[in-house]
Amino acid sequence: MRAPARALLLAGLAILGCAMPAAAQAATESSIRPSLLPDRLGASAALTLALRYSGGEEGVPTPVRTIVVQLPAGLGIDLRGVRSCAAARLRRQGAAGCGSGSLLGRGHATLEVHAGSQTLPEQAAVWVFRGPDRGSSATLEMLSQGYTPLDERTISTAVLAGDQGPHGLELTVSIPPIPTLVYEPDASVISLSLTISRAGAIAVPNSCPSGGFAFAAASTFADGSDATATANVPCP
Amino acid sequence: MRARRGRIVVAIVCAVSLLAAAPALAEETVSITEAGFSPNALGVPTNAFGSATIGSTNLPVPSPITHVDVYGPKGVTLNLEGTGTCERERLEQLGVQGCPADSKAGFGGGEGAYELAHEIINEAYTLDFFLADNKPGQVSLLIFLKGSTPVSIEIVFTATVITGPPPYGLGFSVEVPLIKVLPEASDASAKTAFLTLGAHNVAYYKKVHGKKKLFHVKGIILPKQCPHGGWPVASQFTFQDGSTVLAKRTVPCPK
Repeated sequence: MRAPARALLLAGLAILGCAMPAAAQAATESSIRPSLLPDRLGASAALTLALRYSGGEEGVPTPVRTIVVQLPAGLGIDLRGVRSCAAARLRRQGAAGCGSGSLLGRGHATLEVHAGSQTLPEQAAVWVFRGPDRGSSATLEMLSQGYTPLDERTISTAVLAGDQGPHGLELTVSIPPIPTLVYEPDASVISLSLTISRAGAIAVPNSCPSGGFAFAAASTFADGSDATATANVPCP
Repeated sequence: MRARRGRIVVAIVCAVSLLAAAPALAEETVSITEAGFSPNALGVPTNAFGSATIGSTNLPVPSPITHVDVYGPKGVTLNLEGTGTCERERLEQLGVQGCPADSKAGFGGGEGAYELAHEIINEAYTLDFFLADNKPGQVSLLIFLKGSTPVSIEIVFTATVITGPPPYGLGFSVEVPLIKVLPEASDASAKTAFLTLGAHNVAYYKKVHGKKKLFHVKGIILPKQCPHGGWPVASQFTFQDGSTVLAKRTVPCPK
């Protein structure tokens, strides 16, 4: 190869080398899609929260560590009569460890595991149980069970507390690292959909503000970055 | 007499040449930076993992690897029931998507380097291991090496399961092809390598009598006993310059 061509090749490699990491370090973004069914003022309803993550290095979102979901003002959550169940029971026995008396809802999660040159998807079933109260705050225990390719169980704890502004209650979900293989990164949550469907647990607000019921989700990721998503459920 | 004197002169010239060349001879170094099993418990399916750093005593880039033998401890067994296999042609033509999910056997990667226009170019690579044959006694693997930046490269080569000399047991032997990422570049060398093999927690859905059933693959199973001092593991690397380096390590017994 002649010197100019060689220099051109090296310059090309340098440009590629500089450009690729910049593209690879894309930030993780989030979105939230809430829904109430039936969406009738004051009605007992099922609340669904669907979160989705995108972007991230090589198209794989950074693992999420904390999600703070802000619920609309006036949304009623009534956990009276719902028995609490400790996370230790879920850890030992899976969903069977906590009876239907403490079950609040179910859901589904999609995770991605990065290994070698591959990004492997994993589907997980999610159960939401009432956990033991922390002081005056109610808690939820979320059991996530994936089966293939990795048979893995994860328990996340959510704390329900008051909030301000256009929002009412705030649900802070702490998601532990989900280990995969030695030398490979923890699994990333791509989507998480939860439906709290226990009869009488959720009540649609008695009035609807202009613009609808406001929901928001602030996610913090393993690399310290964060992302915020908002969405409104139109007034009935 | 003249002939004898001539031979002496040739011998001296050769000796001086060798002495002069000696400091320039590169020697490869291999250090196993980590080796272990996850989980590390007696008699259980596990993931075997390890990492190594490869260097040269006096060159910026070590000689390219041409062969690697990896030895695990004596008593390790394989149970590949429930696994599938991958065909080399499909892997070569379609990439990793060409192999069934249940043929995955491990993952790895590292950093390679090559010389191009008197510059050393470093390039990260990944390794994907697939079962090519899962029949007892003739187990072999396909290795898919992929590099993306700055130059895209994909190469498939094979590894066969072997039994190492005492005190070692099952391991695998890899004939590594010479890798030239560009025609003008030197053959690529590995500076670091890491891998995880096994199927701890791995499960696939199989149809058994028409019904979908979750099947847990066992894969690599640790011995039920651990010798005093731990489980010996080793890797022997052969380089393009003909040198061979044996690197040893001991994995502590489960507590």
